[in-house]
Amino acid sequence: MKENTWFRRYGLIVLTGVVVGVAALLLTASGNPKNMGFCIACFERDIAGALGFHSAGKVQYLRPEIVGIVLGAAVSAFAFREFKARAGSCPASRFVLGLFVMIGALAFLGCPLRMVIRLGGGDLTAVAGLLGFLAGILVGVVFLKKGFTLGRAYPVKLGEGLALPAVMVGLLALLLLAPGLLKFSEEGPGSMRAFWAVSLAAGLAVGFLAQRSRLCMAGGLRDAFLIRDFTLLAGFLAIWITITIGNLLQGNYNLSLLSQPVAHSQHLWSFLGMALAGWGSILLGGCPLRQLILAGEGNGDAAVTVLGMVVGAAVAHNFGLAGNPDSAADGVYTVGGIGTAGMVAVVIGFAVLLAVSLLHLPGKEEV
Amino acid sequence: MRQRRLRCVVSFHTTAGAMAAERLCRKEGLEGKLISVPRSVTSDCGLAWSAPPELRESLEALLGSAGVETAGFHELLV
Repeated sequence: MKENTWFRRYGLIVLTGVVVGVAALLLTASGNPKNMGFCIACFERDIAGALGFHSAGKVQYLRPEIVGIVLGAAVSAFAFREFKARAGSCPASRFVLGLFVMIGALAFLGCPLRMVIRLGGGDLTAVAGLLGFLAGILVGVVFLKKGFTLGRAYPVKLGEGLALPAVMVGLLALLLLAPGLLKFSEEGPGSMRAFWAVSLAAGLAVGFLAQRSRLCMAGGLRDAFLIRDFTLLAGFLAIWITITIGNLLQGNYNLSLLSQPVAHSQHLWSFLGMALAGWGSILLGGCPLRQLILAGEGNGDAAVTVLGMVVGAAVAHNFGLAGNPDSAADGVYTVGGIGTAGMVAVVIGFAVLLAVSLLHLPGKEEV
Repeated sequence: MRQRRLRCVVSFHTTAGAMAAERLCRKEGLEGKLISVPRSVTSDCGLAWSAPPELRESLEALLGSAGVETAGFHELLV
């Protein structure tokens, strides 16, 4: 049987990448920070702030995009009979990995998705992050080849699988019905936001399509390195191209290493932060976006990972580990980045990931 | 334009399972290759083993005897 399989293979993933890109551009045009139409790490950090888990006043807002992504994935999973409540794959290790993936991402100032969005805005400081992400994934792939595994998940009761979607419904209810209980930034990135319904709709669309297409920033590169399969990577590239074209058309493309929105020029730590995020994502079996999608499909382990990331965001801001953007005032350009505490945290993160990797290799008696 | 062929696609609960299958099949000289799990098989973004359909019984026996846990065997055009 001969037929053109290109569309069958790449159609949905490319469509998803284009929709993610357009949604990110729309959200930025509607009020989200520049080059931050979507950022899973930043938005989970904002949610942690909105709930009072940290007190960094500039990054507190209950982002409906995250709610939408989880619920969109859940709707898709139910509609296509792919909702499977399951759990039991080293949840404690996943919590810790999620925590350090977040610390790495916040050292860089963005998750892998925002890294692509920053690249699409011409932000050359994100190149160091991309190289670090690639390096981290390669390290993770080495451990996969050595047999690393967190073990399989097992079927559990429906309620377990619905835990994170239910939490998201609760958070949305808080935002709409009891906003007085939440914290809202009055300045900084947390104060820049699209109208909640636009954010929610964009999240729902992305969550739905990402569930259908299995979009994963880390998985795309892992498959490319490991089995020379470029299907998932096509989604990654589609986002990049869409954002680039959109920014060029809107006159927002600024190809430069300087004065990029919510970004810093401490390139070594951008590299190392994203290396930490990349390695952790491979150990977890997916990037931060993918963890939200899996949690929406009923995966309790992914839900624990997301909670670990939220705690990681709180830790990052309570202990001053997160990166600060470059700034310019009175003609003086100040390079941001992470401080000593953040550098120590990233190094500790590598030690923790190495320990988790080594402790989950097969024994001599195993295959 | 690539030809789609009927294959025996073995899915696994973990990436480590898929890679163990690859090692075993290479060692035993069984034809096949790792592929990205087809969307119709599972929603995981993991790996699967793709082999000629006539090798299904051999694969079941090999993986079973080695204790590699599989999630399913599927005959698919890939």
